[in-house]
Amino acid sequence: MSSSPTDVLVDVTMPQMGVSVAEGTVVAWRVEPGDRIEAEATIVEISTDKIDTEVPSPASGVVAEIIVPVGETVDVGTVMARIAVGDGAGAPRAQPLDGDTAGPPITETKSSIPTPTPAARNGNRRYSPVVQRIAAEHGIDLSQVPGTGRDGRVRKQDVLAFVEASPTEEPPLHIESPYRPEPVTPAPAPASPEIDGGGLSRMRRQIGEHMKRSLDTAATCTTWIEVDMSRVEAARARLGVTALAFVARASIDAIREHPALNAWLEGEKYTRHSDVNLGIAVSLGDDGLIVPVIPRAHELSVEGLAARVKDIARRARSRELTPDDVRGGTFTITNPGQYGSIMATPIINQPQVAILDLEAVIKRAVVVTDAAGNDSIAIRPMTILGLSWDHRALDGALSAQFLATIKRNLESVS
Amino acid sequence: MPTLTYLQAISSALRDELRADDRVLLMGEDIGVFGGAFKVTDGFVDEFGTDRVMDTPLAESGIIGTAIGAAVVGMRPVCEMQFSDFISCGFDQLVNVAGKMHYRQGLAVPITVRLPSGGGFSGGPFHSQNPEAWFMHSPGIKVVAPSTAEDAKGLLHAAIRDPNPVCYMEHKHLYRRVKGDVPSGVFETPFTARVAQPGSDLVVIAYGAMVPVALEAVSDGLDGASVEVLDLRSLVPLDEEAILDSVERCSKVVIVDEANATCAAGAQVAALIAEKGFESLDGPVIRVATPDVPIPFSPPLEQAVLPGVDRVREACRELLAY
Repeated sequence: MSSSPTDVLVDVTMPQMGVSVAEGTVVAWRVEPGDRIEAEATIVEISTDKIDTEVPSPASGVVAEIIVPVGETVDVGTVMARIAVGDGAGAPRAQPLDGDTAGPPITETKSSIPTPTPAARNGNRRYSPVVQRIAAEHGIDLSQVPGTGRDGRVRKQDVLAFVEASPTEEPPLHIESPYRPEPVTPAPAPASPEIDGGGLSRMRRQIGEHMKRSLDTAATCTTWIEVDMSRVEAARARLGVTALAFVARASIDAIREHPALNAWLEGEKYTRHSDVNLGIAVSLGDDGLIVPVIPRAHELSVEGLAARVKDIARRARSRELTPDDVRGGTFTITNPGQYGSIMATPIINQPQVAILDLEAVIKRAVVVTDAAGNDSIAIRPMTILGLSWDHRALDGALSAQFLATIKRNLESVS
Repeated sequence: MPTLTYLQAISSALRDELRADDRVLLMGEDIGVFGGAFKVTDGFVDEFGTDRVMDTPLAESGIIGTAIGAAVVGMRPVCEMQFSDFISCGFDQLVNVAGKMHYRQGLAVPITVRLPSGGGFSGGPFHSQNPEAWFMHSPGIKVVAPSTAEDAKGLLHAAIRDPNPVCYMEHKHLYRRVKGDVPSGVFETPFTARVAQPGSDLVVIAYGAMVPVALEAVSDGLDGASVEVLDLRSLVPLDEEAILDSVERCSKVVIVDEANATCAAGAQVAALIAEKGFESLDGPVIRVATPDVPIPFSPPLEQAVLPGVDRVREACRELLAY
């Protein structure tokens, strides 16, 4: 398709989605050459290392050319498509007022340009922060919510009424690991036709690659320790935060004493980090799993960590993470305890050298010794912390010391 | 429980403190024999004598400076500004000396400065101002502003007993218009906000004389909406928890100041909500305040600039419909 000579071509480039992202892959084009596109409307879906995102059109006009096909990976800044703007692509050009109406015909492209409809504008509705938050928490598509505010604006009461009317199951705000028990598949009925699953999703494939590569790379060992969570449970009830936040804080304090665990091993290059950038595994349900990072987590209190964990989990589930949110982790915690499982052998998030696993806290009968040395049996909330560590970077004694430090920290929470 | 006017509640607090604590003394222009411009200290000089109810020269910097010296050596002076507008003459002593004494020299300055403030009586530009934000901007000074008779007494007790300099904003328009049951004896009202009326669709945040205005504005039900009124009571410290709690529940906010709009107390509240309550908002934060003009003498002009019931009600209606 050719554009009119008066058109200006605007490049659609691979955007810089985060400071550390160098390239991206085209996942799907939303337009074809010749289509009309409005500025800020999604023109293409791209995928960077872990984040899929939509790229808005930089201008209103007609798609002149698509350069990068679906599936191709290109550097940031590469031109992916061009949009023709200017009078050739805008409203019909005014005829020259020279009395001669038999001028050269205007290029045919314009006749096929659909004018923007009011419906397109409705798709561009803006929502207040509280409305967006409620929608994200309940997984609601806001375009389905009727608005009763000014000019049909969706108000808080509208989205609440929508939630009330269509009770959707709220996703648990619990942090899960990839190591979930296999879902119980019902015995297939005889002669049931196989369902085509459509192949693995992009995210599933990437998780698989990362996990397999870690097992191929690291000399993975797992060590466990049992921890009395009585003090954590009491403090947690008081502060209204999860046990995970206490385990995170206790781990960060333990890293201070054993900095060898807060490191990367890339080939033969071993790098210790002074900052603790804490990765937290967040389940995305059927879609998979992502490990957003809390940067400089060592600066945060238990309450601060709890708030950040809640925030990244919410943003992960509402697909608001940027590539920078998932980079730079120096140590990872995974917490699949909600199903009652008690032990796991997590896989290290490369190039880190260790990952901590928090499972269910379960009341058990344990032997306790009082100050006078008398033993008795008491009921205590107990958990088993698991640490998978890379034997290339450290040895079992250190991992045991590290776990013992976390145990000491958790059992002395005040 | 006796029923007192706002003014009687202030007198009651002063009298109880003078009786309870030898270190308390009052200073001000014509507060002794004359009993004060608004008769807050009427008869005090007979009971407590001129050493404890001191008439001073017309020199606000002298009143506050003397009070600072007395406070540093252990007294608990209460200064009356005849009108809060006159505090500008004592500004240096209050802001630079009293407010920073503890930071510079580790000395407590437990003075209370009573500031009869506000307009609504055709007092003109020198007798109608609301200068509370001047002191909110200056570290080291607490600022409180009661709207009820009970809080007028409780906040004044707490101010006198506080180890910091406290500006006590008493609104002249409320002196004899506001009445209420007030507990007898000494009680301290904490420097926190108070839900004057609970609600869930919109919150009107106000203090001082704007609290009764807000309550009247929402009293007709606003077409069935459930409107909360939050009385800040204390401006420094500002009760962030109570403000953010109301915002989280109501999601729509109208903030009312009688002061001139720019950098008023309500501007600080709006900034707080923008920063920490953003995720709860379902509409713009709306402010109703006096425009940035001097308070006119002319009664109709004064009524036109001061936030009244109609303006607050209109702002609520607009925001509820948003």
